[in-house]
Amino acid sequence: MYPQNNKDNAVREIIRLERLEKTYYLESLEVPVLKGIDLSIYNGELIGIMGVSGSGKSTMLNILGLLDVPTGGRYFLDGQEVRNFSDNALAQLRNAKIGFIFQSFNLSPHLTVEQNIEMPMVYAESPKKVRRERARELAERVGLGHRLKHRPRELSGGECQRIAIARALGNSPAYLLADEPTGNLDEKTSDEIMELFTGLHQEHHTTIVMVTHNPDLESLFDRVIHLRDGRVV
Amino acid sequence: MLIRDLYYLSLHNLLLHKIRSFLTSLGIIFGVGSVIAMLAISGGAKNAALDQIAALGIDNIIVFTKSLKKPGGSESDPSRTLDYGLTHVDMKNIEKMENIRHITSIRNGRLQITRGVDVLDVEMFWVTPDFLKDLNCSIIRGRWLTPPDFKNAAPVCVIGRDVKRKLFNLGETEIIGRILHVPFGAFTIVGILENNAGTSIEGINSINDSIYIPSTTGRKVFSEYTAETGPRMLKIHHVEHDIFIVKVKDTQVIDHTARRITSLLNKTHDDKDWGIHVPLSLLKQKEQTQNIFTIVMGSIAAISLIVGGIGIMNIMLANVYERRKEIGTRRAMGAKKKDILFQFLIETVFLTTMGGVAGIGLGIGLSAAVTRFSGMPSDVSMWSIVGSITISGIVGVLFGTYPAWQAANQNPIDALKAE
Ligand SMILES: Nc1ncnc2c1ncn2[C@@H]1O[C@H](COP(=O)(O)OP(=O)(O)O)[C@@H](O)[C@H]1O
Ligand SMILES: [Mg+2]
Repeated sequence: MYPQNNKDNAVREIIRLERLEKTYYLESLEVPVLKGIDLSIYNGELIGIMGVSGSGKSTMLNILGLLDVPTGGRYFLDGQEVRNFSDNALAQLRNAKIGFIFQSFNLSPHLTVEQNIEMPMVYAESPKKVRRERARELAERVGLGHRLKHRPRELSGGECQRIAIARALGNSPAYLLADEPTGNLDEKTSDEIMELFTGLHQEHHTTIVMVTHNPDLESLFDRVIHLRDGRVV
Repeated sequence: MLIRDLYYLSLHNLLLHKIRSFLTSLGIIFGVGSVIAMLAISGGAKNAALDQIAALGIDNIIVFTKSLKKPGGSESDPSRTLDYGLTHVDMKNIEKMENIRHITSIRNGRLQITRGVDVLDVEMFWVTPDFLKDLNCSIIRGRWLTPPDFKNAAPVCVIGRDVKRKLFNLGETEIIGRILHVPFGAFTIVGILENNAGTSIEGINSINDSIYIPSTTGRKVFSEYTAETGPRMLKIHHVEHDIFIVKVKDTQVIDHTARRITSLLNKTHDDKDWGIHVPLSLLKQKEQTQNIFTIVMGSIAAISLIVGGIGIMNIMLANVYERRKEIGTRRAMGAKKKDILFQFLIETVFLTTMGGVAGIGLGIGLSAAVTRFSGMPSDVSMWSIVGSITISGIVGVLFGTYPAWQAANQNPIDALKAE
């Protein structure tokens, strides 16, 4: 029901980056952001990506999330190189395998909590009944089972992020990608959200890749990847 | 994405901004509304005109006498007989032609009917027996002229419904059997007729305002010669018939029959002292001009719908821009381009279709109001309603595709970064 890999405890490589590059081409200017990243991520890992602002953390996460395409190198997802996938296939992979969590939550203000959680399931074409039931379970899991009919503006920032996490889990993705999920929250709420992440990780061995620039969180991760000047250090 | 979810989502977004959706579709609402109203009013006018023409009888050919203003005579001869118009010979010749059922003849009595010293706008006509039937009249009191009346040239008359009011006082209810006095004659009133079909024929002012006597009586009492007097002149008019209502057997070849009559009269008349109408042809002509009118209307409608569509396209483009973050989020959640495309496209089509439906309501209301306050007939046709809804939908597709395409082709990253 939750992203889980405990059935096969064998360590499996789900993501592999080989000499991955991303360069932005601005009119006459070339801006290399990622300059050859080699990286493997295994199932069940809780990984932190750290680095100063502008070091390319978000860029890398977006590539991992199949929202952006690298300009060089190779990206293997579950052993398949993603370069060859069509736009539709990428959308389907994002839907089925990836759960996104954003710094600013990105909830739809006009939809109820329930409807927000259902969003990825809508694109997976799961039937209404199944969606409703799953949304309720997930809301309960993040401690907001009593808020299903509320709208995001009636919730605090921490609660919004919990809903966003519930939403990301809808289709039992292979991994969660979170870009500074606590960046907009105060310290206490941040800690609660991090507890939720670590809880999910411990209970269900969910693979999580999280961008943060808060050094206090370093101890929570299985592994931390430091980016500097477009390279892993 | 399931179609049902797509519909729900699009409708949900529209209903979120009810006022904005309404304002956005105003162009379509007014476009469709005015088209429906214009079509209803022109349709009503068309039906009225067609009814009027049809009341002349679509199996009739109408041949009539034209008076000659300048007869082919010299001024030096101040008193001479003007001999013109349709003749007994014409009637016999036409009767003998193919495809003719019968002919009703009408002859204007050329009388001034007065009440005391007032000249009434009432005319007297000499008619043949089929007049009543051929001009869609019915007897509301008394009886119609009988075969013995014709045979004996009886001094009897039937008056039109509205003549009674002009000739008699209000209190005088029973007028059947009363004697009607006119210059050189007196007639017993035997019946009152009425025409409700609105039949109007060249040469008869109003059927309900006229007096009818048997043609035989007319000839016997008044003769076919009428004197016209003026300062130092006396003109004698000799006219045998004023109008022939020629009933044909087969309306398929009515134009052909009319052409035969035309060529016959051309041969036998030196002057153009006659004219001919075929109501069925008039009907067809009228329909043709109506069709042109409808095409012009349609073009105006198309322009107003295009303007409305452009308005909607603008708003939808702004809408797409405003919702970039939502689009980016949906793409990250696994929405395909086509999911986004259809979400926005269906939203636009809903908007224009609902505008179309509202416009139909407006149009029906407008035409009802026009009919109510101006009395102009209106007729909202089923096809104008079905057509409006269809065209509104098509406008939605035409003007919604570009904004929807823009939405679908947003770069997900840029869209996510948008505020
Ligand atoms: N669309 C873009 N065009 C040009 N430069 C970009 C674009 N997006 C990001 N960058 C640049 O790439 C660098 C890395 O950005 P980002 O990955 O957002 O950094 P981080 O998330 O680590 O703060 C920055 O210098 C940024 O200016
Ligand atoms: Mg960033």
